[in-house]
Amino acid sequence: MIALEDVSKRYPNGTYALRDIDLRIDAGEFVFNVGSSGAGKSTLNRLLIREELPTTGRVVVDGQDVARLARGEIPYLRRKVGIVFQDFKLLQTKTVFENVAFALIVTGHDGRTLREESERALALVGLAQRRHHFPRELSGGEQQRTAMARALVMRPRVLVADEPTGNLDPVTTWEIMKLLIRVNELGTTVIVATHNAEIVNALRRRVVHLDHGRIIRDEREGLYAA
Amino acid sequence: MTRVRYVLTAAWQGFSRNPVMSVASTLTVALMLLLFAFFVVTDRGLQSAIGLLESKVELVTYLSDDAKISQILDVKARIEKDPAVSRVDYVSKDDALRRLRELSANRADLGPIEEIGTNPLPASLEIKLAIAQESRRVADELRAEVGNGVITEVVDNPQVVDKLLTITRVLSVGGLVVLGMMLFVALFVIVNTIRIAVHARRDEIEIMQLVGATDRLVAAPFVIEGMLVGVFGAAIALAVLAVGSGPVTSTLVQFLDILPVSLGPNFLAQLALGVLGFALVMGAGGASISVRSQLSR
Repeated sequence: MIALEDVSKRYPNGTYALRDIDLRIDAGEFVFNVGSSGAGKSTLNRLLIREELPTTGRVVVDGQDVARLARGEIPYLRRKVGIVFQDFKLLQTKTVFENVAFALIVTGHDGRTLREESERALALVGLAQRRHHFPRELSGGEQQRTAMARALVMRPRVLVADEPTGNLDPVTTWEIMKLLIRVNELGTTVIVATHNAEIVNALRRRVVHLDHGRIIRDEREGLYAA
Repeated sequence: MTRVRYVLTAAWQGFSRNPVMSVASTLTVALMLLLFAFFVVTDRGLQSAIGLLESKVELVTYLSDDAKISQILDVKARIEKDPAVSRVDYVSKDDALRRLRELSANRADLGPIEEIGTNPLPASLEIKLAIAQESRRVADELRAEVGNGVITEVVDNPQVVDKLLTITRVLSVGGLVVLGMMLFVALFVIVNTIRIAVHARRDEIEIMQLVGATDRLVAAPFVIEGMLVGVFGAAIALAVLAVGSGPVTSTLVQFLDILPVSLGPNFLAQLALGVLGFALVMGAGGASISVRSQLSR
């Protein structure tokens, strides 16, 4: 599903965000991407949605070398790779339903598809009852679930979560994690960048450990620290 | 349909939520379009004046009121013998007055001709040349006869044409330069208006790009907003034109003397369409430049 081959990312100031990364993630996997701040987790995520290009090496998503995509093809990559962030990135002037439907509208859907798919995504994250609320009326966990619904409404092959629980309390963090696992069980490949050791240790999933831009550990059923 | 509604709503919001910039750019565009229209009208007027002059008499000799018909026929026959001349027409004083009356019948601005008691217009010989290049020689030969009691004046129309051509050229170049500068200013203002609109909606744009909206859709509301600026600018410019075209036309007519300059029956419609089209292209173009420069990352 995803393959990084000998990928390095060097910024113009000379610092390396990623160095010699070789990584394969199969369809349907659930992967924790751990490491301290600045280890390169976010850069890795940005490569997957082609917000950045590797300096050297190849990033292949769903059989396509993302560096070779024409500008006009990037949107279609992003419809396959959904992403959620620590800061949710919700539109404050739109309701929960509108935030979710927005993704479908701007990708050319309307009518019944728009309504039904939005309802399906909201039901999946358990926010059907809150659909008419505005983001400011929601808790942090609900806002993150709205963001997840917005990503999932596109039925992506991959869901990337970049520190999804960084702003959330432990109880809410668990809710979000359970939801991510459920999404994974429904067939979506899930990649979670986090430095929440407790979660990683409790769930015992594949762990890819980044340190100073290098993969120092890649374990099935791994722990946060070696 | 939902997508179209989204684009139109977003475009209108962009325009209406930043009224100062929107009004400023609309007025700049209107001003530029007015200049454009003025330039086109002037150019078109001069062109048709030149065409008219060129197709008309090339040389005119005005005749003394005291000249005898026999003398006039004599001169006419002599001119007709010149191989460079194709045709000579005698225009009597009455003919000349009749022409002026016909001209004035279509033109209220010339005032009532009927009030003139006597006929102040001279008779003339209108000479068409077979060889246009010879006009100067023929004119010079006839000029030599001025004061002989028959010919009082020789008017060399090619010179008028030359002068008009020079004026047109100067106006064209000057107009294009001014128009070019205005176009630059208008584009600059549109680009900045749209830049602000893009900035105001940067969160929305970020999300659109994350969920996989095409660049075209991301840019569409801004391009429409640019076109809105163009349409409103064109509306203002055309309104000003409609109100001001009367006085301007009569000024132009005075400037061009009594040439019956006709701009053609569809000219005003063409001009309005031209102004609107120009405005739309400029609005959309300016917005595209602005959006493109900000989305390309």
